[in-house]
Amino acid sequence: VRCQLSPPQRPLQTSAVLRRVSDEQKKEPLASSSQQQFDSQPTDHQPEQEPQDPHSSYPGQGGQESEDYESEEQLQHRILTAALEFVPEHGWTAEAIAEGAKTLGLSGAASGMFQSDGSQLVLHFVSQCNTKLSELLEQEQKLVQQGEAEKKPTDQFLRDAVEARLRMVIPYIEKWPQALSILLLPHNIPSSLSLLTTMIDDIWHYAGDQSTDINWYTRRAVLTGIYNTTELVMMQDSSPDFEDTWRFLENRVADAMKMGNTANQVQSTGEALVQGLMGAAVTVSNAETSRALR
Amino acid sequence: GSMRALAAGPQTHFGFQTVTEAERREKINQVFESVAKKYDVMNDSMTLGIHRVWKDVLVLKMNPSPGTLLLDVAGGTGDIAFRFINYVRSVRERQLQRRLKHHQNLSWQEIAKSYQEDKCNSLGDSQVVICDINKEMLKVGKEKAQDLGYSEGLSWVLGNAEELPFDDDMFDVYTIAFGIRNVTRIDLALREAYRVLKPGGRFLCLEFSQVSNPLLSRLYDLYSFQVIPVLGEVIAGDWKSYQYLVESIRRFPPQEDFKAMIEDAGFFKVDYQNLNSGIVAIHSGFKL
Repeated sequence: VRCQLSPPQRPLQTSAVLRRVSDEQKKEPLASSSQQQFDSQPTDHQPEQEPQDPHSSYPGQGGQESEDYESEEQLQHRILTAALEFVPEHGWTAEAIAEGAKTLGLSGAASGMFQSDGSQLVLHFVSQCNTKLSELLEQEQKLVQQGEAEKKPTDQFLRDAVEARLRMVIPYIEKWPQALSILLLPHNIPSSLSLLTTMIDDIWHYAGDQSTDINWYTRRAVLTGIYNTTELVMMQDSSPDFEDTWRFLENRVADAMKMGNTANQVQSTGEALVQGLMGAAVTVSNAETSRALR
Repeated sequence: GSMRALAAGPQTHFGFQTVTEAERREKINQVFESVAKKYDVMNDSMTLGIHRVWKDVLVLKMNPSPGTLLLDVAGGTGDIAFRFINYVRSVRERQLQRRLKHHQNLSWQEIAKSYQEDKCNSLGDSQVVICDINKEMLKVGKEKAQDLGYSEGLSWVLGNAEELPFDDDMFDVYTIAFGIRNVTRIDLALREAYRVLKPGGRFLCLEFSQVSNPLLSRLYDLYSFQVIPVLGEVIAGDWKSYQYLVESIRRFPPQEDFKAMIEDAGFFKVDYQNLNSGIVAIHSGFKL
């Protein structure tokens, strides 16, 4: 296996499309490296990976030219972002991506760079929303730290965070069921699950809840449950500005708060887990026994 | 011997022989002139019809949308072009159906008008230019198009892959199916492909490649060298051309090497997909 540390030695040909990275872009390496790559199952051959980070420099290596140009992934992100505008009309499809590419002055054939089922478009959007949410929460936290805002009680904080995040979906709400089904495709589940849990963990992090009587996994599970159910309710909601959804959310969060205040709940969660495991063990051993008896 | 060494021009290969570049071009020209009429029949018998599947996969992978401008190089008898037309036609139909479903509030007159407009544009402005270096192959292709009823969206151009008669930045997709191994200077053909593609455009190559599985490789060799030339003689009356075919397949660089050549021409996101364990491979690259 040939290990490549530097970009492939290309003839010094100016790329037709990859732009020169402006000084502004160079200042934000964190943003681009935190946007993970969401390629699901590879085709039967795994091509050699080109280095992902355009800002790294290996002294003494050739191919320095490519350092000043955006990487292929950055271009792909630009195309996907441009494609979002066409989702309401074309759905989460290769057609939307082709239209997006065209607005950047590229041939529609560039959509061939992406998977044809639109997975990457949906994952890109979800990732973008999560990033926006983090930034929002970060800003709020700063305001609180600077004394310019009150720290919200936990239930209020959770409600506002989930509402803010779900509102980002509203422009695409007609095609959102399609997006959800794409996220549930087996080859996308690792990525979509990872995005979801990171987002939930983020919210809890900024909630700054110091109480130690709720265990961490329960917290994550509870908020995930709230988020998912609220999202589904939103799909069916036709009330003005989704007020039914936000009321549903308020109730679910209130339920969770009540639950969180009893230490018993933690114990019973633990007990339930153990019972589940016992049940599974019994089932398995029964299966073995019946097979042995045959 | 020494006479060869004095012959004009750089040395290259023709099958397993060593010849000059000029001689190679001439020999290949003769091969295709002689096989043109039996080209399709031979493809079917040699690959047991599987070449049709390979070509279907190529167009499926391309996934062209209506409005795409395709350049099919070495496209001789039109196999890729016809598939392209069929594909965009069905995509276009689906598009129109979806549009009609949305426009439920239109009056009958408006619907009838949109029907007419779309009927005149069943391909959605998609077009394919078929370019081949050999007149005989183009002739067979044109006749086939007529027989099969393909009329609109096709153009036939005589041209050399190493020096295409087209302007820069013209096409959305460039395909070359089972043609590039017959090109004498592959690097020039790749650079020409890069030149004529629009930014964002895609390069797709379907070609015989290297089989990695040793058992399969032995069977494949056996079949290639024992059976194919015989078929060539029996069906097309031309043993030598098919001997050349088999040898040229062995001479063609393996998947990774060809991928590197495509990258050298300036393409990005170069990747390949093996079909039938590597008997055939589809290489893809983008002009970025």
